[in-house]
Amino acid sequence: MENILTFRNVTHIYHTVRGELVAAQDLSFTVGRGEFVAIIGPSGCGKTTLLSLAAGLLKPSEGTVESNGTFGYMLQKDELFPWRTIEKNIFLPLEVRHKRTPTEKARAIALAEKYGLADFLKSYPAQLSGGMRQRAALIRTLATDPDILLLDEPFSALDYQTRLNVCEDVATIIRSEKKTALLITHDISEAISLADRVLVLTARPARVAHSHTLDFGDIPPLKRREQPLFSVWFERLWGELNA
Amino acid sequence: MKNKNYSKEHVRFLQRRKRNLAIVWIMRIGVLALLLGLWELVTALNWVDPFIMSSPSRIANTLADLSSDGSLYYHIGVTLWETLAGFAIAVVLGFAIALALWWSDTLRRVLEPYIVVLNALPKIALGPLIIIWFGTGNEAIVFMTVLVGLIVAIMHVLSAFIATDANKMLLLRSMGAGKLQILWKLVIPSSYPAVISMLKVNVGMAWIGSIMGEYIVSRAGLGYLIVYGGQVFKLDLVMSATFVLCLLAAGMYALVVLLEKVLVKNTDS
Repeated sequence: MENILTFRNVTHIYHTVRGELVAAQDLSFTVGRGEFVAIIGPSGCGKTTLLSLAAGLLKPSEGTVESNGTFGYMLQKDELFPWRTIEKNIFLPLEVRHKRTPTEKARAIALAEKYGLADFLKSYPAQLSGGMRQRAALIRTLATDPDILLLDEPFSALDYQTRLNVCEDVATIIRSEKKTALLITHDISEAISLADRVLVLTARPARVAHSHTLDFGDIPPLKRREQPLFSVWFERLWGELNA
Repeated sequence: MKNKNYSKEHVRFLQRRKRNLAIVWIMRIGVLALLLGLWELVTALNWVDPFIMSSPSRIANTLADLSSDGSLYYHIGVTLWETLAGFAIAVVLGFAIALALWWSDTLRRVLEPYIVVLNALPKIALGPLIIIWFGTGNEAIVFMTVLVGLIVAIMHVLSAFIATDANKMLLLRSMGAGKLQILWKLVIPSSYPAVISMLKVNVGMAWIGSIMGEYIVSRAGLGYLIVYGGQVFKLDLVMSATFVLCLLAAGMYALVVLLEKVLVKNTDS
């Protein structure tokens, strides 16, 4: 499998007037094309820093981050612009990249319609439910047809029921669009139910403590939760996180 | 969401709401009528001296006189022009300066103490300087109006620019947006509510500026009528001009509210 993202001995230091903070140290891992990788770690271990490094928004203090494709970023909240319709929100990345051509627009619209947003294209975000908004945010992320999706706890702002549903949604969409995904989460069960591989980070400065390939195959998230293997993995990752 | 098949309880609720609104309006008008009536009564019965207190009927007569020789409209025109010109310049310039200060962090930090001092300074202290620099014409009054509104406009808009949602900025940056794109697509549209509230505040500021300016130096305008009326003890004139001023300020505020309805639609959330 070809590597689409490679972190090689990455160290990142934040500088503030009060001092410096080593967010990541000697961090190495790879993500293969088409893979769904989840990263879990104790809170405050610099998970979000990691995504910013991956997207090239931050430059590492030491080491290299190599990527082999384009990114789409999805955040905790949907961050839809309230003054734009859903359609205009989905076009936003196209506008930013000066790619608002009829073909690209048609592709984005087709994607939105395929995943159940057809009736909401002319609505404003405030008129949609939390789950629908997050789905619109995902379609916006997919509008430019990125190779890698960076997901920064994209379900944590939703209530539990919506969360399970949206999780299922997102997994389906990402798998059927054959995207590579790097998910950051503090929720162990979410990581197990979504990922092909789970990386466990240490407390700050973040380093990869363990890497596990999960053997669920193509079983969707909700079904995974019913598997006996699920609780086995849960206990194991729980133990490693608290080590 | 028009649905005619409301439950009886909901229909009663709507009726109650309607009745409440009607009562509030009746009472508003009642308060005005009561005050005007009392004022007319105590002056008509000479309980207080109408020469000092004026009275609604005397104000109406004065306005009719001023209106018949056209001088009322001339004075309104002068003040309105000064106010609107000063308002427009303060708002546009304030917005532009706020943009520059958002763009450059260094510039903002350099100018911050100056803005704070200018904000605290009572602008009327600059009156004599303004007369010497700009003479005794309209320019001096417009300048005073700009001075009163400008700093408020800058501070209002700048604080909205700075408060732009950091996550939305991150999102745009992750799409590859540069600073100019972030400005156009996010910072400016998300500042609309703050801009509207700045406009509302600046309506008041503009009237303060223009009337204050006319107090210091003028040969025409509503502020001039008030000062002149005070000096020659024509309280009818003072009250009439003040009354017209109230109407104009309310009208200008209403226009801003109308603009708000057009501009800020779907920003709830």
